[in-house]
Formats: sequence, C-alpha cells, structure tokens
Amino acid sequence: MASTASRSRISLANLSPARGSLHKQKRVGRGQGSNHGGTAGRGHNGQKSRSGAGIKPGFEGGQTPITKLFPKRGFVNQNERVWAPVNLERIQHWINLGRLSCSPEKPITARELLFSGCVHDIHDGIKVLGDGAEFLTSQIYITPSRASKSAIRAIEDRGGQVVCKYYNPLALQDCVKGRTDRITAAPTRRQDIMWYSKFQNRGFLSPDLLKKLGDAPFVEERWKLLSQQLGKWRKQEFDVEKKKK
Amino acid sequence: MAKTVPLKRAIPDPPPPSITECQLVALDPTVFHHPIRRDILHLCINHYRDSLRQGSANTRTRGEVRGSGRKIRPQKGSGRARLGDAQSPMLRGGGVAFGPKPRDFSTKLPRKVIQMGMRVALSSKVLEQNLGVMKTMDWPNGKTKYLSHKISSLGLKNTLFITGEDEVPTMLQRAIRNIPLVGVTTSREVNIHELLKWPRVMLDAKAVDFFEQSLGKPYASVDDTPVQEAISRL
Repeated sequence: MASTASRSRISLANLSPARGSLHKQKRVGRGQGSNHGGTAGRGHNGQKSRSGAGIKPGFEGGQTPITKLFPKRGFVNQNERVWAPVNLERIQHWINLGRLSCSPEKPITARELLFSGCVHDIHDGIKVLGDGAEFLTSQIYITPSRASKSAIRAIEDRGGQVVCKYYNPLALQDCVKGRTDRITAAPTRRQDIMWYSKFQNRGFLSPDLLKKLGDAPFVEERWKLLSQQLGKWRKQEFDVEKKKK
Repeated sequence: MAKTVPLKRAIPDPPPPSITECQLVALDPTVFHHPIRRDILHLCINHYRDSLRQGSANTRTRGEVRGSGRKIRPQKGSGRARLGDAQSPMLRGGGVAFGPKPRDFSTKLPRKVIQMGMRVALSSKVLEQNLGVMKTMDWPNGKTKYLSHKISSLGLKNTLFITGEDEVPTMLQRAIRNIPLVGVTTSREVNIHELLKWPRVMLDAKAVDFFEQSLGKPYASVDDTPVQEAISRL
C-alpha cells in the first residue's frame, strides 16, 4: 500500500500497468534494430515471400498428400450408442464417502451419478459394470440404461435392485435436469423393445421383472402399461396361408 | 544515499475550517479500505478511454479513389517502372495502402475488474484524506453566487459532489453548473475516470449506502485492519 507521504495523490498521471502484463507488438519491416526489418522474416525470394495467399494447407507440392494416400474405409454408424461405464467398486466408494446415497424411494439415476462426480459425462446413457463386485457391500437401487450380467448378479446378491430403463436423448436430458413434466418416451426400435423386454437384462418392460418387483416405490405405473402393449409380439403369429389340398 | 526532499505544492489548498460539530461515519472496509492496485486502475482507465474513441478516421483505398482502370503506360518500352492504374498507392493522388478505416476501439473488461477498480479508487481517496461525506446534497434556490460562496467557505474547491439520488436535484444542478473547479454527478453515473480526475470527492449519505450495497463484499478478503472513519461535514 502506497503511503501518502512518499507519493503524490493517485491520479490519472501516475498509473502504470502491472509489470510483465503488456508485451510489445511484433512489427515487421521497420528497420534493422527491430530484428525484423528488411525481408520481414520471409527470407529471400520464393513463393512464400510473395504477398497474397500461400499454398493450400495439406498441399505437398504435387506429391500425393498423406490425406489422399490411404483409402477410405468403412462408415460411421449414426445409430451407435456410447454408454458411460461405471463400475460397482466406484459406486461403493462414493457411497462410503457419502457422495452418493440411495434408497428404494430415490434410486440412483444418471443425475445423481453426474452431479456427485462418479461419472464425468453421460454420453448416451449409463452402463453399470461389475468390476470390483467383491467390494460392493451396500444395497443399491439403480436405474441405468444398461447393466452387465455380473453387475446384476452382484447387486441382487447384496439385496439391491437394478432396473434397466430406456432413455432417449431427450429423456436423458430431462433426467439430468430433474424435469418431471414430460413423459419419457417408450422405445420404438425393435432392438430396444426386445432388449428391454428380457428378464436377463432386467429390462423395465420384462413381465417377469415387473411381477417380481410388485409395488416397489421406484416402479412407475407406465411400465406395466408399456410392457403389455409392447409385449404383444409374444402372442402374435404370422398369417400362414393354409395349404389347399 | 541522501534522502530526497519531497516536492511541495506552490499554492496549497485552503485549510479546512475548524469543525465544531461533526459526526463520524463508519465505512465498509471492503469498499473504502481496499488494498491499492494501480494496475487495476490502469486497466479500468484504459477501458474507459477506449470506449470514448470515436473511431471515425477514414481513408480511401485504391479501389475507392475515383479513377478509371486504364493502364497508364505500356508494360514495356518506356524505360520507366511498370504501372497499372493511376490510383495505386505508389503514385501521387493514389489511394492509401492500409490506411485507417472506421472501427470500434472499445474493449471488454470483466465486470468484476471494474468493480474492484471502483473500490480501489474510493479507497485511494480515503487514504489521501480526500473523501468526505455529507448528509444530503441540495440547494434551495438556483443561485450560483450563494452556492459558490458556501463552497469556498467550506474550502471545497476542486471537488466532485456525488449524490445518491437517481438524478441531481434541479436547483443544485442549476446553481453548481457554472462554478469552475466543481462538479456534480450521481452515484449511478460516476465512473473511475472521474473519481481519479477530481482531487477531492464528497459523497452523499445515500451515495455511501449505494456504493456499499453494490460494491460491498460479505467478507473481507485480504486486510483485517480496523475500519478507517471519514469525518462528515454538516
């Protein structure tokens, strides 16, 4: 702090920037003393010393550039989904630290995992994996997008419950933001309907799972309705033309 | 090394009149006792002055100078340098190469840096004992001579009066606007440039509240020394 005795008052006349905060601009072609005079850092003659646009980036003088040497391969699957993995030991560690908590009324969802830092990015959904299943000791109730078989086994052995729920991108955003005014959409693709209807996956449309869960707090009414409607394929048959004798 | 003698001003400001009745004002230390940061003031002043620039300098390029595109002399044969049209910057009467064009010189500065600058400016005024607080600022009639007399008797020349009202009261505005070396403004409109330009600053009680509300911090960040008090004049 400057004392008033040694300096005159702080005015517009005695302000200066912080030492090292300002850097001199590089001005080329302004004399020998600046070290950038004469040819202004461009060397002597040649295409690069001329004014105007230089060569196109990636151009190698006519030689086949590295971007064209190798053939194109494959395609990008637009329907591909990337799951954010989370292992059981990580969840247990978070619960031990008190960063995550769950109960049958409030199961662990993508929102809790993201906000507690268990998962850094949700991508297209959460997949629970079974690494470190031996460290899992608490009962957890979790509704991820997917779960591996060993994870399901480990969670249910400890008395918890896994229900794999279908989240489309909008539903995932609503889950993370905590919006409950919208109804989350049902799966439309055959693959998804088949996957979520299987008990081995603990899919939310599987009739065996819904019967087992019964009236658990985190089961939604809508699941039963969807399971009925989307499970009609089990009883349907193709129309087979009767052979005329 | 011999100590240098500090320079003394030739014409000192008149000494303040003896204060028979005065009250003490407790000021928020996070606003009025902030550590002095000249580099922050420098940033704020540069930002302010950049915003004042008109940026209207304009020149004509070779494309804008009036003239045809006819080649002045043949490429070869004349023995002189080769030339295209008559508007080239090499020639007299031609366009300007890379000359100024109207542009915006304003810069951006983080809001919190500007707020810190205000705190530093107010604190510097308190440190130099050039900050005063008044209860209210108004003048009954719009007569300049009476107000000028009062200001001289109080010894408040070279002062900026900052009122905390939304607008400067009309009578005060009329009376004060012609007095040299005295200025008035509202706490909402005052900026750091004005605070540094004017040697002395007088605040309204309302203005003090305004600054403490808008600039005050819930906790003291660096210094925990006891609050400095400003003496208010009636």
